[in-house]
Amino acid sequence: MMGWIAVICVLSPAAAPSVAQVSPYRVPRTADGKPNLSGIWQALNTADWDLEGHAAAAGPVTSLGAVFAKPPGLGVVEGDEIPYLPAMTTRKKDNQTNWTKLDPEVKCYLPGVPRATYLPYPFQIVQSQNNVLISYEYAGAVRVINMGAPTKAPADSWMGWSNGHWEGETLVVDVTSQLEDTWFDRSGNFHSDALHVVERYTPRTPDIIDYEATIEDPNVFSRPWKISMPLYRRVEKNARLLEFKCPEFAEELLYGPLRKKD
Amino acid sequence: MTYRSLASVIAFAAVIAASMLAQIPAAVQAQSPATPAKTASATRAWTPPLLPDGKPDLQGVWTNNTVTDLERPKALAGKEFYTEAELKDLQNQERQRLYVTETEGQPPANHSGVEGAGADDVHYDFSQFGLDRAQAKLAWSRRTSIIVGPEGTIPPLTPDARKRLAEIRAKAKGHEFDGPEMLPLGARCIARVNVVPLLPSAYNSNLQIVQSAGYVAIETEEIHDVRVIPTDGRSHIPGNIRQWYGDPVGHWEGNTLVVDTTNFTEMSPFRGAQNLHVIERFTRVDQDTILYQFTVEDPGMWTKAWSGELPITRINGQIYEYACHEANYGLADTLRGARVAETDAAKNSAK
Amino acid sequence: MTKLFLVGGLLLAAAAPAWAHHGFAAEFDQTRPLKLKGTVTKWEVTNPHSWIHIDVKGDDGKVVGWMIEGGSPNNLYRLGLTKDSLPLGSEIVVDGYQAKDRSAKAVGKSVTFADGRRLFLGLPGPESEPDKK
Repeated sequence: MMGWIAVICVLSPAAAPSVAQVSPYRVPRTADGKPNLSGIWQALNTADWDLEGHAAAAGPVTSLGAVFAKPPGLGVVEGDEIPYLPAMTTRKKDNQTNWTKLDPEVKCYLPGVPRATYLPYPFQIVQSQNNVLISYEYAGAVRVINMGAPTKAPADSWMGWSNGHWEGETLVVDVTSQLEDTWFDRSGNFHSDALHVVERYTPRTPDIIDYEATIEDPNVFSRPWKISMPLYRRVEKNARLLEFKCPEFAEELLYGPLRKKD
Repeated sequence: MTYRSLASVIAFAAVIAASMLAQIPAAVQAQSPATPAKTASATRAWTPPLLPDGKPDLQGVWTNNTVTDLERPKALAGKEFYTEAELKDLQNQERQRLYVTETEGQPPANHSGVEGAGADDVHYDFSQFGLDRAQAKLAWSRRTSIIVGPEGTIPPLTPDARKRLAEIRAKAKGHEFDGPEMLPLGARCIARVNVVPLLPSAYNSNLQIVQSAGYVAIETEEIHDVRVIPTDGRSHIPGNIRQWYGDPVGHWEGNTLVVDTTNFTEMSPFRGAQNLHVIERFTRVDQDTILYQFTVEDPGMWTKAWSGELPITRINGQIYEYACHEANYGLADTLRGARVAETDAAKNSAK
Repeated sequence: MTKLFLVGGLLLAAAAPAWAHHGFAAEFDQTRPLKLKGTVTKWEVTNPHSWIHIDVKGDDGKVVGWMIEGGSPNNLYRLGLTKDSLPLGSEIVVDGYQAKDRSAKAVGKSVTFADGRRLFLGLPGPESEPDKK
C-alpha cells in the first residue's frame, strides 16, 4: 500500500522540469527587495543566425571563406519549429534566400525585441526601482522598461514599448508596438506590426539568467511560440560596453550608389 | 496667413508659455555670480534624497532646453548675468516671440547649416510640430551664456589647430556633397554634439537618468545615445581605443557626480578636436533641478580650457525613441539632389 | 547659426537651431515653390523627420503620391498626440518647396487642413482645449 502511494507521488506532475523552474536559486536583492539583475550580460549561441536548429553552411561572401560561414546550432525554439501560417511560408523562404539584401541587421537598423537580447554583442542592465534600463552594445540600441503602472505607446517604434513587473524571482516584460520592419534572425524569420512579446528573465545562478520570450502574432503565426536560452554574465574585471555605432559601417552599402562619380 | 482657430491657438500658446515659465530654482538664483566655489556653498544647503546605496538620486526625465547660447553675444561682453528684472523681460519676450511664431508662422532663418549664409525658407515650420523651444519646458538661468567667466566665449584656437582646420576646410571646398562621409556626423545619424558635454539640442533636448549600484546611466533623446558611467573608481580603457563619445568614468564627491571622459576619436563630434578631455559635475540642487557644470580641454585645439554651466530641469513627459538612421531619407535625398544639380550644371555648360 | 534680434536692450536669440544637423537647402529647392492639395494616405512618424504621404490629383485627373517632410513627432507625443491623430483621408494643403532631385517630395513649410486649421496643433485632442487663464 505504502509503495503504491510512493509511486504516485513520484509520478505526480509537480514541477515538470523546465529551464525556468529547475532551480530554487534566490539571487541577491536590490535595496528595494527585488532580484538584482544589474550587470553586463550576453547570449552565447547562434540564435541570431537562425532561431531554428541548423547545420553549418557556407557564408554569403566568398572572399571571407570560413570567417563568415554559418556556424551550426541546436536552435532555441521550443518544439524546434516556428509555426508559420501556410500563407506566410513563401515570404519566409524569400526572406531567407535574399537575406543579405533584406536583413535589417545588415543595414545596422535597430533590432527590436527579442533579437536585441541574442545578437552577438553584450548588453547592460541598469536596474532601478521604477525603471529598468537596458543598453545594448549593438547600434547603441536602448530601451527603458517601465516598472510602474503600465502605459501605452503613442506610436510604434523599432525597440517597442516595454512594461515590466516582478513575478517572484522573474522579471516579466510585456513588449508591444514594435514596427514590422525588424527580423528575428539572419534567416528571414519575420513578423507583422501585431507582434506581441512577453519576456521572462529568471536568475539561475549569480552569473546566469534563464531567458524566455513568448512570441505572438496572429497575422503571421498559427499560435504563440517560445524561445529560451541562458544569458551569461560578462565577468571580466572592468567589463564594459564599447561603442558599436554601425550606421557608419553600412553607409557605403546604403549611399555608395549616390556618391559622385569621378 | 490667417488662422480660423486663432483663439484656440492663442489659448494653447498661453498654456505652453505658462508651463515654460518654470520658477528659477532658489538655489540657482542664490548663486553669487562669481566663482564655482561660491556655487558649491549655495548648493550644499539642500540635501538630495539618497538611493539605498547612499548615493544622491539623480533619476528622472529632465531637459536642458534653454534660450541661453553657448557663447556670450558680443553686445553683452563682460556681462555674465542678467538681473532678475532683465530675466523677467527675457521671459516675456520669449512668450511674445512664440505667440508671433504660432500666429504668423516661423520667420525665415538660416537653415542651411552653412555659417553666415542668408536666410532660407526651405524648412518646415518648427512650431507646427511643437518643436519650437518655447513649446517645451525651458530651463531658465540668469547667465548670458552657457560658458562661464568674464569672456563667456570659446578660447582662441592654437596656431596648429587653426592650420589643421583650415586645411580640412580647403580640402572639403567644392566636395561638400560628394559622398556621405562629407556630411556632418549628425546628418549621418552617427553622433551629435548634445551628448558630452550635455549641450542643449534645438528640440527634444531631453535626457533620462537611471541609477543602479555603481552605475549612472544617462540616455539623451537624440540619438538614443546612452552613457553608462561606472562609479567604482576604475581607470579608463586603453588609449588606443577611441570612441565618438569617449570613455566616461565617474566618482562621487559628496553629493556631486564627477565624470571624467577621455578616449574621444580624432574627429570628435565637437568641432574637430583631436584629444578632447571633458570633466562634468552633476549636482542636484532642489527637487526639480540638477546643476550641470562642465570643463572642456584639448591643449592641441584651444589655448586654454573652457567651462560652462546650465541648469537641467525635470519634465513631466518622457523620452521617446529617436531612431534617426532607420528613416534618414534626408541623407539620400541630399546626395541625390547634389547629383541632379551636377548633371544640370554639366548640361548648361555644354550648351 | 542663431539669428539674434535686439529687443529692449536685451538679446533674445530666435529659435532657429544653433547648429543644423543637415543643410535643408541641399535637399529642397528654393526656386521651386509649390502648393499642393491632397488627401492623407499615411503619416510616417519617423525621426529625424516625419513624412506625410498625400495623394494629389493633377489637372489631368492623374493621382500622384507625394511625400511631405515635416518635423520630429516626439514632442507632439508629449503634447498628447499619437500616430492616429492625423486621420487618413484628411484633405490638407501644403505650402512648400520641391526636392532638389525633382522627385515627388517636398518640404511642407506650412501645412493646413482645407478649412485653414494648422497641422498639427490645430488638431482636436486633450491639450487643445486648455483652461482659459
